[in-house]
Amino acid sequence: MSFAEVAEWFAFAILAVISVAGALGMATTMSMFRSGIFLMASFIGVAGLFVLLSADLLGLLQVMMYIGGMLVMILFMVLFSHDPGGSMMAEMDMSLIERFFSLGLSSPPDEGMEHGDGMDMGGSGGHEGMEHEGMEHGDGMDMGGSGGHEGMDMGGMDMSMTTPVKRWAAALSLVLGGGLVALLLLRPAWPTTDATPSPESARMIGELLMSKYMMAFESAGLLILIGIFGAVLVARPGAYPDRDARDAYVTADLPPAPIEEGRPPSADAPVPPEALEEVTVNEAHRDKAGGPPSLNGPAGHAASQSAEGDN
Amino acid sequence: MELTLRALGVLAALGLAALLTHFFEPAALSDAQERGPAAPAGPRAPAELASNPDRWMHPAGPVMALLGVLFALVVIPFGPDLVPSDLGIGVFYFIVVVDFVVLGLSLGGWGANTRNSVDVYYRATAQLVAYVVPLGLAYIGAIMMARSLSTVSIVEAQAGMWFIVLQPVGFALYLVTGLMQAYRPPFVEPFAAFIDHGVYGASFPWQALLWRLALSSLMFLIAAMGAVLYLGGWRGPLLPGPVWMLLKTFALMAVMVWGGSRAPLLTTGRMLELSWKVLTPVGLVNVLLVGALILLGVGPS
Amino acid sequence: MAVPLTAYLIVGALLFGIGVYAVIAQRSAVMILMGIEVLLNAIGLNLIAFWRFVNPEDYSAQIFTILIVTIGAVEMGIGLGIMMLLYRNRGTVQVDQYDSLKG
Repeated sequence: MSFAEVAEWFAFAILAVISVAGALGMATTMSMFRSGIFLMASFIGVAGLFVLLSADLLGLLQVMMYIGGMLVMILFMVLFSHDPGGSMMAEMDMSLIERFFSLGLSSPPDEGMEHGDGMDMGGSGGHEGMEHEGMEHGDGMDMGGSGGHEGMDMGGMDMSMTTPVKRWAAALSLVLGGGLVALLLLRPAWPTTDATPSPESARMIGELLMSKYMMAFESAGLLILIGIFGAVLVARPGAYPDRDARDAYVTADLPPAPIEEGRPPSADAPVPPEALEEVTVNEAHRDKAGGPPSLNGPAGHAASQSAEGDN
Repeated sequence: MELTLRALGVLAALGLAALLTHFFEPAALSDAQERGPAAPAGPRAPAELASNPDRWMHPAGPVMALLGVLFALVVIPFGPDLVPSDLGIGVFYFIVVVDFVVLGLSLGGWGANTRNSVDVYYRATAQLVAYVVPLGLAYIGAIMMARSLSTVSIVEAQAGMWFIVLQPVGFALYLVTGLMQAYRPPFVEPFAAFIDHGVYGASFPWQALLWRLALSSLMFLIAAMGAVLYLGGWRGPLLPGPVWMLLKTFALMAVMVWGGSRAPLLTTGRMLELSWKVLTPVGLVNVLLVGALILLGVGPS
Repeated sequence: MAVPLTAYLIVGALLFGIGVYAVIAQRSAVMILMGIEVLLNAIGLNLIAFWRFVNPEDYSAQIFTILIVTIGAVEMGIGLGIMMLLYRNRGTVQVDQYDSLKG
């Protein structure tokens, strides 16, 4: 083999390992932040493979889209997660691969969870202190138990990242991946050509986008515009700060008050006391009936004035 | 062999650029209230350093940022033949690779695991969302006129007239978004004093050194790219090309830093507002203007 | 081209398997979105590999991949918006706790 061929194999091996190991790390690490970073690594590895396949414009496009996109996505994960740094789950028993991809996580604070009561995590750090309402249930957490994170249920605030069907999922994906690879190996030859793409691929793609695929290009632009509208519309602050407040208003049949300005939306802020009494009665009823009607209410019409007031 | 020489040349250029910027910038920043990444941050007591870091991501942050600026330097031309690698899609490559600095800030800020440093990650990401669209629009004007993404061709296209004359709006847009991209005043939110100068406050000394290197050369790179896009790059009478390039770069840096330090500081929310309500529409108008100029036959043919 | 087409396709297949695992086994809605991104990425890799080895003169495959990346971005934006709404309503993004239709 010539030097160029060895170099190509070498680059391919590195990039393939980065992309596969990155995806694997994304699926198995305990830290949500890390899993986003792993996914970004996987994307960058695939972008490198694109460059190796002489689609360099596409590779750069991929890197640009996903660095920014993944950073924002991790931000959302951190907002929504109760243990984004994974330091609490890093204490549990993990399978080998999970342990490998969780190496070197920042350790939990000293008054951590093994000591049962207290659960006072809000002390020092950045990640650990993220969101600790709803965790103040002390003793009944048996961490070292046999189920690992599969059976771990912290009183409704389940912090584990994987579902109970994890083993089945692993088996299924192994079968799927193995089957695909086997199919590929059993059917080795596609009719390939030795032709090489022209070095001016950026210009060719631009011309193609503006002639043959103009319709697709323009509709992709329209799709993005509609996507922006949709995301803003869906995510805009609702008339009610959260579920409890909405239930309180619905129960007491009161007109919704807009969220007060300069005040973080919280459950206790705008609910009048009489409504709260009602809601305790209703809480019991609701539990019997199996949960509240949830999806269709709150992002409704009354939101506009508060949304504008926020700016 | 030649590849090694080029790599060494890029490394040397990076060191030189960072050094020059490091000593030049404080002079232009004389009376700013917030100095951003150029702020002097002395040695700290060990207790203030990151006490409980993520052992892989905390060191990875500055390395990633430095790799980003190192790769970005590859396409900056200092002369017709003095460019480490003239990629066909050089400008696009530059935009992409500079994003690694944001990635490094996020990794380092989150990995240090102190309250202030995690803030760096949030603010840097929000700032990325703020600048990325207007920045692209600021590049597009020059790309449209030069009809090429290669940095060398963009400089060649300005043989007759610099693009700053033809596109003053695009140039102004580049100044503002460049400051935003470099975290210089007035956009110093991720490095503000009240969060302990961002990543500086939670770095070990070697990391602080790498951060300074990366952020100083980031400012240099952005000024250099501005010189390439709008000031005609290495072109000029009498003096040789690299000298002109350095002169233009530091003149542009002086204008940016001096002007920026006199503007009122902006919070991240204000930055986003400025970006989406002012800079993006201005950028779109600039694209329209440049298109009209090209249709009228102005500019390089 | 020293590296054969099959090698690239195997990488794509492995990515696809991992993506399926992430979508099924992960519990947080954001992680499921990320699994979907891995799936889309595997598809893009296959498209580009076939383009390079079978028909490199026709750039349509790259256009399709650009469109896939675009749609992935839009999907991510809308998905995150829906997730914010769900989080505001239910206080969680763990998908197996969205069980209000279970009776």
